[in-house]
Amino acid sequence: MIPELTRGVGVPRLVGISYPMGRPLGRPHDADGQRAVLRGMLELLTAAQGPDTYIELPFVWPESPAQARNASKDLPPAPIVELLTKKPWLLVNLYNGRIPHEASAA
Amino acid sequence: MSIDSYRFLDFASRQVMKAWAARQERGVIPFTPLAKPLRECTIALVSTAGIARNDDQPFDQERERRDPWWGDPSFRMIPLGTTEEDVRVYHMHIDPRFGQADLDVVLPMRRLSELAHAGIVGQPAYRHYSLMGYILDPTVLVEKTAPAIADEMRADDVDAVALVPA
Repeated sequence: MIPELTRGVGVPRLVGISYPMGRPLGRPHDADGQRAVLRGMLELLTAAQGPDTYIELPFVWPESPAQARNASKDLPPAPIVELLTKKPWLLVNLYNGRIPHEASAA
Repeated sequence: MSIDSYRFLDFASRQVMKAWAARQERGVIPFTPLAKPLRECTIALVSTAGIARNDDQPFDQERERRDPWWGDPSFRMIPLGTTEEDVRVYHMHIDPRFGQADLDVVLPMRRLSELAHAGIVGQPAYRHYSLMGYILDPTVLVEKTAPAIADEMRADDVDAVALVPA
Protein backbone atom coordinates (compact mmCIF):
# COMPACT_ATOMS: atom_id res chain seq x y z
CA MET A 1 0.00 0.00 0.00
CA ILE A 2 3.01 2.22 0.62
CA PRO A 3 5.28 0.50 -1.92
CA GLU A 4 8.24 2.82 -1.55
CA LEU A 5 8.38 2.03 2.17
CA THR A 6 8.14 -1.72 1.56
CA ARG A 7 10.60 -1.55 -1.32
CA GLY A 8 13.07 0.16 1.00
CA VAL A 9 13.07 -2.96 3.17
CA GLY A 10 14.45 -4.96 0.23
CA VAL A 11 11.73 -7.56 -0.36
CA PRO A 12 12.38 -9.90 -3.33
CA ARG A 13 9.00 -9.30 -4.96
CA LEU A 14 6.57 -6.46 -4.32
CA VAL A 15 2.97 -5.88 -5.35
CA GLY A 16 1.61 -2.35 -5.09
CA ILE A 17 -2.05 -1.50 -4.61
CA SER A 18 -3.83 1.81 -4.00
CA TYR A 19 -5.92 0.65 -1.06
CA PRO A 20 -6.16 2.31 2.36
CA MET A 21 -4.24 1.00 5.38
CA GLY A 22 -6.11 -1.63 7.34
CA ARG A 23 -7.80 -3.01 4.22
CA PRO A 24 -5.02 -4.49 2.09
CA LEU A 25 -7.20 -7.16 0.45
CA GLY A 26 -10.22 -4.92 -0.02
CA ARG A 27 -13.58 -4.39 1.58
CA PRO A 28 -15.05 -6.81 4.13
CA HIS A 29 -17.15 -9.55 2.53
CA ASP A 30 -16.00 -8.71 -1.00
CA ALA A 31 -14.71 -12.23 -1.62
CA ASP A 32 -14.24 -11.78 -5.37
CA GLY A 33 -12.24 -8.59 -4.95
CA GLN A 34 -10.09 -10.10 -2.18
CA ARG A 35 -9.41 -13.22 -4.24
CA ALA A 36 -8.31 -11.12 -7.21
CA VAL A 37 -5.83 -9.22 -5.03
CA LEU A 38 -4.39 -12.39 -3.48
CA ARG A 39 -4.16 -14.05 -6.87
CA GLY A 40 -2.32 -11.02 -8.25
CA MET A 41 0.17 -11.30 -5.39
CA LEU A 42 0.75 -15.04 -5.76
CA GLU A 43 1.15 -14.96 -9.52
CA LEU A 44 4.16 -12.69 -9.10
CA LEU A 45 5.90 -15.68 -7.48
CA THR A 46 6.10 -17.26 -10.93
CA ALA A 47 6.35 -14.10 -13.03
CA ALA A 48 9.29 -12.48 -11.21
CA GLN A 49 12.63 -13.25 -12.85
CA GLY A 50 14.90 -11.59 -10.29
CA PRO A 51 15.07 -9.61 -7.06
CA ASP A 52 13.32 -6.26 -6.55
CA THR A 53 10.56 -7.08 -9.03
CA TYR A 54 7.69 -4.63 -8.62
CA ILE A 55 4.25 -4.78 -10.17
CA GLU A 56 1.11 -2.75 -9.54
CA LEU A 57 -2.41 -4.13 -9.37
CA PRO A 58 -4.93 -2.03 -11.31
CA PHE A 59 -7.74 -2.18 -8.73
CA VAL A 60 -9.33 1.12 -7.72
CA TRP A 61 -10.61 1.79 -4.20
CA PRO A 62 -14.34 2.57 -4.44
CA GLU A 63 -14.28 5.52 -2.03
CA SER A 64 -12.48 8.84 -2.10
CA PRO A 65 -9.53 9.23 0.32
CA ALA A 66 -11.67 11.55 2.46
CA GLN A 67 -14.46 8.97 2.66
CA ALA A 68 -11.96 6.24 3.54
CA ARG A 69 -10.42 8.40 6.30
CA ASN A 70 -13.81 9.46 7.64
CA ALA A 71 -14.82 5.83 8.18
CA SER A 72 -12.20 5.67 10.95
CA LYS A 73 -12.31 9.15 12.44
CA ASP A 74 -14.09 7.98 15.60
CA LEU A 75 -11.13 5.77 16.59
CA PRO A 76 -8.88 6.85 19.47
CA PRO A 77 -5.50 8.15 18.26
CA ALA A 78 -2.52 5.76 18.37
CA PRO A 79 -0.30 6.25 21.45
CA ILE A 80 2.48 7.90 19.41
CA VAL A 81 -0.01 10.36 17.93
CA GLU A 82 -1.31 11.19 21.39
CA LEU A 83 2.25 11.74 22.65
CA LEU A 84 3.21 13.94 19.71
CA THR A 85 0.05 16.00 20.13
CA LYS A 86 1.13 16.72 23.70
CA LYS A 87 4.83 17.12 22.86
CA PRO A 88 4.99 18.24 19.23
CA TRP A 89 8.73 18.97 19.44
CA LEU A 90 9.30 15.17 19.53
CA LEU A 91 7.92 14.87 16.00
CA VAL A 92 11.37 15.69 14.61
CA ASN A 93 12.71 12.54 16.33
CA LEU A 94 10.07 10.37 14.70
CA TYR A 95 10.67 12.04 11.35
CA ASN A 96 14.42 11.45 11.61
CA GLY A 97 14.07 7.90 12.95
CA ARG A 98 15.60 8.71 16.34
CA ILE A 99 13.91 6.17 18.56
CA PRO A 100 14.59 6.52 22.30
CA HIS A 101 15.68 3.02 23.34
CA GLU A 102 16.00 3.73 27.04
CA ALA A 103 12.33 4.64 27.26
CA SER A 104 11.54 1.00 26.47
CA ALA A 105 12.87 -0.12 29.82
CA ALA A 106 10.14 1.78 31.69
CA MET B 1 5.51 4.14 -9.03
CA SER B 2 1.98 5.16 -9.81
CA ILE B 3 0.50 3.68 -6.63
CA ASP B 4 -0.36 6.40 -4.15
CA SER B 5 -1.90 5.16 -0.94
CA TYR B 6 -0.38 8.12 0.88
CA ARG B 7 -3.55 9.93 -0.13
CA PHE B 8 -5.44 7.81 2.40
CA LEU B 9 -3.19 9.10 5.20
CA ASP B 10 -3.16 12.35 7.13
CA PHE B 11 -0.45 14.87 6.28
CA ALA B 12 1.87 14.16 9.24
CA SER B 13 1.85 10.36 8.76
CA ARG B 14 2.51 10.87 5.07
CA GLN B 15 5.59 13.03 5.72
CA VAL B 16 6.98 10.67 8.34
CA MET B 17 6.57 7.62 6.07
CA LYS B 18 8.19 9.38 3.12
CA ALA B 19 11.15 10.34 5.29
CA TRP B 20 11.51 6.75 6.54
CA ALA B 21 11.26 5.35 3.02
CA ALA B 22 13.96 7.72 1.75
CA ARG B 23 16.33 6.62 4.53
CA GLN B 24 16.11 2.85 4.04
CA GLU B 25 19.33 1.08 3.08
CA ARG B 26 18.49 -2.07 1.22
CA GLY B 27 21.73 -3.98 0.91
CA VAL B 28 21.62 -7.22 -1.09
CA ILE B 29 18.06 -8.24 -1.93
CA PRO B 30 17.51 -12.00 -1.71
CA PHE B 31 15.76 -13.90 -4.46
CA THR B 32 14.86 -17.58 -4.59
CA PRO B 33 13.05 -18.72 -7.74
CA LEU B 34 10.10 -21.03 -7.16
CA ALA B 35 11.37 -24.61 -7.19
CA LYS B 36 8.14 -25.99 -8.62
CA PRO B 37 4.97 -24.77 -10.31
CA LEU B 38 2.74 -22.48 -8.23
CA ARG B 39 -0.09 -25.02 -8.49
CA GLU B 40 2.06 -27.45 -6.46
CA CYS B 41 3.26 -24.98 -3.83
CA THR B 42 2.27 -24.82 -0.18
CA ILE B 43 1.63 -21.17 0.65
CA ALA B 44 1.75 -19.43 4.03
CA LEU B 45 0.51 -15.94 4.88
CA VAL B 46 1.94 -13.35 7.24
CA SER B 47 -0.18 -10.37 8.27
CA THR B 48 1.12 -7.30 10.09
CA ALA B 49 -2.32 -6.42 11.48
CA GLY B 50 -1.40 -7.65 14.98
CA ILE B 51 -3.87 -10.56 14.99
CA ALA B 52 -3.98 -12.93 17.96
CA ARG B 53 -6.40 -15.74 18.67
CA ASN B 54 -8.65 -15.24 21.67
CA ASP B 55 -7.11 -18.34 23.28
CA ASP B 56 -3.59 -16.94 22.75
CA GLN B 57 -1.65 -14.13 24.44
CA PRO B 58 -2.74 -10.68 23.19
CA PHE B 59 -0.22 -8.34 21.56
CA ASP B 60 1.05 -5.97 24.25
CA GLN B 61 -0.97 -2.79 23.83
CA GLU B 62 -0.37 -1.70 27.43
CA ARG B 63 3.37 -1.43 27.01
CA GLU B 64 2.95 0.53 23.80
CA ARG B 65 0.62 2.91 25.63
CA ARG B 66 3.28 3.39 28.33
CA ASP B 67 6.05 3.74 25.73
CA PRO B 68 4.62 4.88 22.37
CA TRP B 69 8.04 4.44 20.70
CA TRP B 70 7.81 0.69 21.34
CA GLY B 71 5.92 -1.89 19.28
CA ASP B 72 5.42 -5.55 20.25
CA PRO B 73 7.99 -7.55 18.20
CA SER B 74 6.55 -11.01 18.93
CA PHE B 75 4.49 -13.15 16.56
CA ARG B 76 1.31 -15.19 16.79
CA MET B 77 0.48 -18.37 14.98
CA ILE B 78 -2.90 -18.45 13.27
CA PRO B 79 -4.00 -21.97 12.27
CA LEU B 80 -5.87 -22.43 9.01
CA GLY B 81 -9.61 -22.36 9.69
CA THR B 82 -9.36 -19.53 12.22
CA THR B 83 -12.05 -16.93 11.55
CA GLU B 84 -12.86 -13.40 12.72
CA GLU B 85 -14.89 -15.02 15.54
CA ASP B 86 -11.70 -16.48 17.02
CA VAL B 87 -9.36 -13.47 16.96
CA ARG B 88 -8.78 -9.86 17.87
CA VAL B 89 -6.86 -7.29 15.83
CA TYR B 90 -4.49 -5.45 18.21
CA HIS B 91 -2.83 -2.98 15.83
CA MET B 92 -3.56 0.52 17.17
CA HIS B 93 -2.48 2.45 14.06
CA ILE B 94 -5.08 1.04 11.69
CA ASP B 95 -8.83 0.68 11.97
CA PRO B 96 -9.13 -2.88 13.32
CA ARG B 97 -12.86 -3.12 12.62
CA PHE B 98 -12.52 -4.09 8.96
CA GLY B 99 -10.33 -7.10 9.75
CA GLN B 100 -12.50 -8.02 12.70
CA ALA B 101 -15.61 -7.96 10.53
CA ASP B 102 -13.93 -10.18 7.92
CA LEU B 103 -10.52 -11.65 8.68
CA ASP B 104 -9.77 -12.11 4.98
CA VAL B 105 -9.40 -8.32 4.68
CA VAL B 106 -6.06 -8.69 6.49
CA LEU B 107 -5.29 -12.44 6.50
CA PRO B 108 -6.89 -14.05 3.45
CA MET B 109 -6.85 -17.72 4.49
CA ARG B 110 -10.29 -18.48 3.00
CA ARG B 111 -9.34 -16.80 -0.29
CA LEU B 112 -6.11 -18.84 -0.31
CA SER B 113 -8.09 -22.07 0.18
CA GLU B 114 -10.35 -21.07 -2.71
CA LEU B 115 -7.33 -20.47 -4.96
CA ALA B 116 -6.07 -23.93 -3.99
CA HIS B 117 -9.44 -25.49 -4.88
CA ALA B 118 -9.31 -23.65 -8.21
CA GLY B 119 -5.89 -25.17 -8.91
CA ILE B 120 -4.01 -21.84 -8.90
CA VAL B 121 -1.85 -22.78 -5.90
CA GLY B 122 -1.09 -26.16 -4.31
CA GLN B 123 -2.43 -25.83 -0.79
CA PRO B 124 -2.60 -23.39 2.09
CA ALA B 125 -0.18 -24.12 4.94
CA TYR B 126 -1.74 -25.39 8.17
CA ARG B 127 -0.31 -22.46 10.07
CA HIS B 128 -0.18 -18.76 9.21
CA TYR B 129 1.27 -15.87 11.19
CA SER B 130 0.71 -12.36 12.41
CA LEU B 131 3.02 -9.59 13.54
CA MET B 132 2.45 -6.10 14.84
CA GLY B 133 2.89 -3.64 11.99
CA TYR B 134 3.98 -0.75 14.19
CA ILE B 135 7.59 -1.47 15.15
CA LEU B 136 9.90 1.52 14.85
CA ASP B 137 13.02 -0.38 15.91
CA PRO B 138 13.00 -3.68 13.99
CA THR B 139 16.08 -5.23 15.69
CA VAL B 140 14.23 -7.99 17.60
CA LEU B 141 11.88 -8.55 14.68
CA VAL B 142 14.75 -9.10 12.26
CA GLU B 143 17.11 -11.01 14.55
CA LYS B 144 14.68 -13.21 16.52
CA THR B 145 11.08 -13.14 15.34
CA ALA B 146 11.53 -13.56 11.59
CA PRO B 147 13.99 -16.48 11.89
CA ALA B 148 11.64 -18.18 14.39
CA ILE B 149 8.74 -17.90 11.94
CA ALA B 150 10.94 -19.20 9.11
CA ASP B 151 11.80 -22.26 11.22
CA GLU B 152 8.11 -23.01 11.75
CA MET B 153 7.45 -22.61 8.05
CA ARG B 154 10.26 -24.99 7.14
CA ALA B 155 8.78 -27.55 9.53
CA ASP B 156 5.49 -27.21 7.63
CA ASP B 157 7.20 -27.59 4.21
CA VAL B 158 6.05 -24.14 3.10
CA ASP B 159 7.26 -23.30 -0.42
CA ALA B 160 6.34 -19.61 -0.61
CA VAL B 161 5.03 -16.86 1.64
CA ALA B 162 2.83 -13.87 0.96
CA LEU B 163 3.49 -10.96 3.33
CA VAL B 164 0.37 -8.89 3.79
CA PRO B 165 1.01 -5.43 5.25
CA ALA B 166 -1.86 -3.86 7.11
